Amino acid sequence: MLEIRDVSRHFGGLKAVDAVSTSVNQGELVGLIGPNGAGKTTLFNLISGFTPVTSGEIRYKGQTISGLKPFAIASLGLSRTFQNLRVFPNMTVFDNVSVGAVGAIGQSAFQAVFAGSKRANRISERTWEALERVNLADQANDLAANLAYGKRKYLEIGRALAMQPDLLILDEPAAGLNDSETADLSRFIEELHGEGLTIMLVEHDMTLVMRICQRVVVLASGQKIADAEPAIVRRDPQVLEAYLGVDE
Amino acid sequence: MLDPYYLQQFAIGLSLGMVYALMAIGFTLIFGVLNVVNFAHGEIYTIGAFAGLMAIAAFGPPLLVILFIVLAVGAFAGFGLERLAFRPFRRFSDEASLKSRAMREATLMSSLAMSIIAREAMELVFGSEFQTIDIAYLINKPIALGPITIVNGDVIIFVVAALMMAGLQYLLKYSTIGLSIRAVSNNPLGARYVGIDTDRTIVLTFVIGSMMGALAGILVGLYYGAIFPSMGFSPGIKAFVAMVMGGLTSIPGAVICSMILGISESIATTFVSSVWSDMVAYGFLLITLVFFPQGLFGRGRERV
Amino acid sequence: MSRELLMPRLSKVAMLIVLFGLLPALLAWLDKGYLYQVVTVTLIFALLAGSLHLITGVAGLLHLGHAAFYGIGAYIAALLGSDYGIGFTIGLPLAGLGAALIAFIVALPTMRLVSIYFAVATLGIGQMVHLVLQNWVEVTKGPNGVLLFSGIDLFGFTIDDAIGTYFVVAAIVSLSIWVIHRLSHSYYGNALRSLREDDQCADAIGINTTRLKMEVFTIASFFAGIAGALWAYTTQYVSPADFDFAESILILAMVVVGGLGSLPGAIIGAVLLILLPEVLRGVGDIRNIIVGGVMFASILFLPKGLFGEVSALNFVRRQLDSAWRDAPQKRKVGWK
Repeated sequence: MLEIRDVSRHFGGLKAVDAVSTSVNQGELVGLIGPNGAGKTTLFNLISGFTPVTSGEIRYKGQTISGLKPFAIASLGLSRTFQNLRVFPNMTVFDNVSVGAVGAIGQSAFQAVFAGSKRANRISERTWEALERVNLADQANDLAANLAYGKRKYLEIGRALAMQPDLLILDEPAAGLNDSETADLSRFIEELHGEGLTIMLVEHDMTLVMRICQRVVVLASGQKIADAEPAIVRRDPQVLEAYLGVDE
Repeated sequence: MLDPYYLQQFAIGLSLGMVYALMAIGFTLIFGVLNVVNFAHGEIYTIGAFAGLMAIAAFGPPLLVILFIVLAVGAFAGFGLERLAFRPFRRFSDEASLKSRAMREATLMSSLAMSIIAREAMELVFGSEFQTIDIAYLINKPIALGPITIVNGDVIIFVVAALMMAGLQYLLKYSTIGLSIRAVSNNPLGARYVGIDTDRTIVLTFVIGSMMGALAGILVGLYYGAIFPSMGFSPGIKAFVAMVMGGLTSIPGAVICSMILGISESIATTFVSSVWSDMVAYGFLLITLVFFPQGLFGRGRERV
Repeated sequence: MSRELLMPRLSKVAMLIVLFGLLPALLAWLDKGYLYQVVTVTLIFALLAGSLHLITGVAGLLHLGHAAFYGIGAYIAALLGSDYGIGFTIGLPLAGLGAALIAFIVALPTMRLVSIYFAVATLGIGQMVHLVLQNWVEVTKGPNGVLLFSGIDLFGFTIDDAIGTYFVVAAIVSLSIWVIHRLSHSYYGNALRSLREDDQCADAIGINTTRLKMEVFTIASFFAGIAGALWAYTTQYVSPADFDFAESILILAMVVVGGLGSLPGAIIGAVLLILLPEVLRGVGDIRNIIVGGVMFASILFLPKGLFGEVSALNFVRRQLDSAWRDAPQKRKVGWK
């Protein structure tokens, strides 16, 4: 579904991502790990269109997306969350998620003014579905800024789900969560995956990645050094070396 | 070789550019440190001019004394402006808030509001017409330089601008104050962590920048013989344009672009009527914003 | 009729009664020409503030040159009338379309600018338009302005009495504000708000941010042009002085004071900032100081404005029945 072919991203002399090739097939749950500075977030930004590739190609559902603008990529069915939790602080929870829905379903200015309720109802229903999926339905009227940190994570995921994506990319979803919250989250991600969603995630938390991912891609210094099932990756000497001092 | 008429226009353009540079230096200094557009800088300029005017009317001291009085008034005004329009918005001290878009917009609007109040107040007190200045103080005594004529004001302004720039560069590079200014402009939170009193540094920057602005005001007022409450608006915009063209963070860049602006304006007015002269500045502004966002000399600002 | 439906219906009917019944009756009874003028100006500025609210309050684009498009609309209407004898019926929409067209052209290169630079660009544009209005004497008649000899000429009927003029202005302003209300209080409006909150993030969610910004800028400028035409036809004299930077700031102050993101707030701000100097008639000269002072005070003490966005959105959803009602818990959320 997602093909990354020999993609590089150079910043002057620095090779943030260096000739990385991998793919994510439909229905997979893939994890992307690597020590700090390995290029994981850069790769995410390349995939979602926030950074242009220096060389190489990224294809999604057979179409080249490297070089497309972020919103174009998103409308193809690829949605993402952000590491530093970017919800819309001055909007309610409902309104936040509705932006995901309206991004996918669309409502033009003309429709907003003159059209009947049909389209708006579709957007409303889609929003409620997403809200209920992430268990935020009873906080729908709360201001996003007032939400607890953990809940805001789910809000971001809910907003991404409202787009009804084919591929969901999660950027360090467990960052800042304690053990029990992380356990809840990993269960939640597994559920989403079980419902048929293809998911790719970047994570530092090894337990989460090794537990739920079907396949793990390892980056170090911008290069891919492993791409296999968790059981194999955790014994790979190159991976262990890259993570020097960090136990599996 | 060159028609003396065009040479004269060029010279006029140079002196115009120097006038803009005087404003741009203080403006860029403040922007560099706080990353905020100080909409009231033009009014500090006007306050300087009126302060000088009142000093002349009150007890007619020599020019140098006037300049010192103006510097003092400018410092005071800058201090007041910072306390009133900028400090209240630094309530939150984390980095995200300090450089946040909301804060920049809030301070833009608060300094804008301040500038309106200041300008209207001066209009109420002094009336909106040009003020008369004792002819003895005007610095427009002509000096012949070959085919062209300049005035003694040109020399004075040039010297002052050069001194300002040199003084500022010296201050920034070799003094402790300069070090704190550079630190705060680079990373306000980090500067605070290493023990720099960011608040005091910001105040100091405002004071220095405003002193320069006020000095610019009185010099230009005496140069053109015109002092009136709305005199700060147009140079303020030109200073901003010069700053943007120069790359926002570079004082020498702002000065060079001020010169370019002045010369372009002067040349433009030889071909079209002078009422369109402001168009040059606005045109440059838009062209720079759209095509050269990083300016001609500075490093670009990152996206907010 | 169920209680849920009754209140919002009443609110809407009440507003219409006040605007088209009570107020004109009061004006006719008091019969002072000057009062008609104040009310008309207030209506025009309510439209200006409402349209700027879309750009600055909802979409978060700080716009320091809204008066330019107000002026363009006014001049189009005035010049069409005085030079070509084209009256209100065609002049009004043309004024709006002309302003929208220029806004579109201006927005094309500048829409990608980051907030503060966009703000300064709008300042530059506003100043350029003002310069043109003042100095392109062949077309705009320069600082002397343009005199319009006919007032409102609607489909052949000349309306030159005060009360008739009032009704026309009130009708057009109400219709325009209704459109703005629908845009702001809809999912389209939510998309606009996401531009203000975090436009990079909005991009990632499939919102075509550049196109949306251009749309809102063009639409709002259309309404500014309409407001300008109304000004031209009611005061019958336009001059460049009415469309300078101070005017843009006045309109911005109305939006800020009322509450960024709040349409009712913008209207309240307009009413406040027009009526306040009128009420303090004796000190009319310091109107601008009042504007500056009020703007400063509200940024400092009332950062959410007089009727902030959250309260305003709740108000509109509940009181004006704009909310989606079939929510599971029967609470009013979302938009219809």
